[in-house]
Amino acid sequence: MTTELINDIFLVAAALFVVLAIAMFYRAVAGPTTQDRLLAVNVLGTNTVVILALLAAGLDQPWFLDVALIYALLNFLMAIAISKFTVERGGVL
Amino acid sequence: MSLVAYTLAVFILLTAIATALFRDVLSAIVVFGAYSLGMAILYTYLLAPDVAMTEAAIGAGVTTILLLLTIARTSRPPTDQLFERINVPAVVVVSGFVLVMLATVLPDMYEVGSQTAPAWANEEVTQYYIQNAYDDTGVQNAVTAVLASYRGFDTFGEAVVVFAAGIAVLLVLKREVFV
Repeated sequence: MTTELINDIFLVAAALFVVLAIAMFYRAVAGPTTQDRLLAVNVLGTNTVVILALLAAGLDQPWFLDVALIYALLNFLMAIAISKFTVERGGVL
Repeated sequence: MSLVAYTLAVFILLTAIATALFRDVLSAIVVFGAYSLGMAILYTYLLAPDVAMTEAAIGAGVTTILLLLTIARTSRPPTDQLFERINVPAVVVVSGFVLVMLATVLPDMYEVGSQTAPAWANEEVTQYYIQNAYDDTGVQNAVTAVLASYRGFDTFGEAVVVFAAGIAVLLVLKREVFV
């Protein structure tokens, strides 16, 4: 297999993950409770890290991985803040 | 634009509409986090990693916490319905206005990498940055090099303005901490 073909496979995989993100977005909108929405967005965040890594490989741009790392670190921040907010009714930090 | 960019655009549009329509503010904040994820991927895809990093740090991290702090200090009216009622005439007027503005502005924009764009009007300056950015600053991305290094004092001045505004808010509120 040529490198171009492999890169194309990476890009198509990234596009499929974006389609999965839209499917997960259905849960974020429909999900009856805020906790459902929060979980859906958290999965979306993990999905984002995977998409960025696939784009880094497919487009031959290794510095995309820096953005993916920052997202992997910050993805927890929103989940923790909203969890604390719903449990303690008002405490965020 | 490729398959990835188009599906991303659809995703971003959906999240933006959902954020605007949700009646429950907490749900709107969560969905806004999803919007920020999509924008970060799109910025990265358009080869602007510095903007994507800012979006990752500000959009997903800081904005969520700021908005949560805000609704912690206000009251959230309990609601039965999931979405806001849509005011159709207002939607038609606003989207018509935006469409007209886009139709007037977009045709005048330059293609990516266009040789007639204003950035090439003074070719010596542009070539200088492209050729010397890495040696001068050690930053691989020329845009980041200009923002963070060549225009470093400008960025420093902006930081001073934000700092002064924060101090002024504390003085007006007569408090020692923000939260």
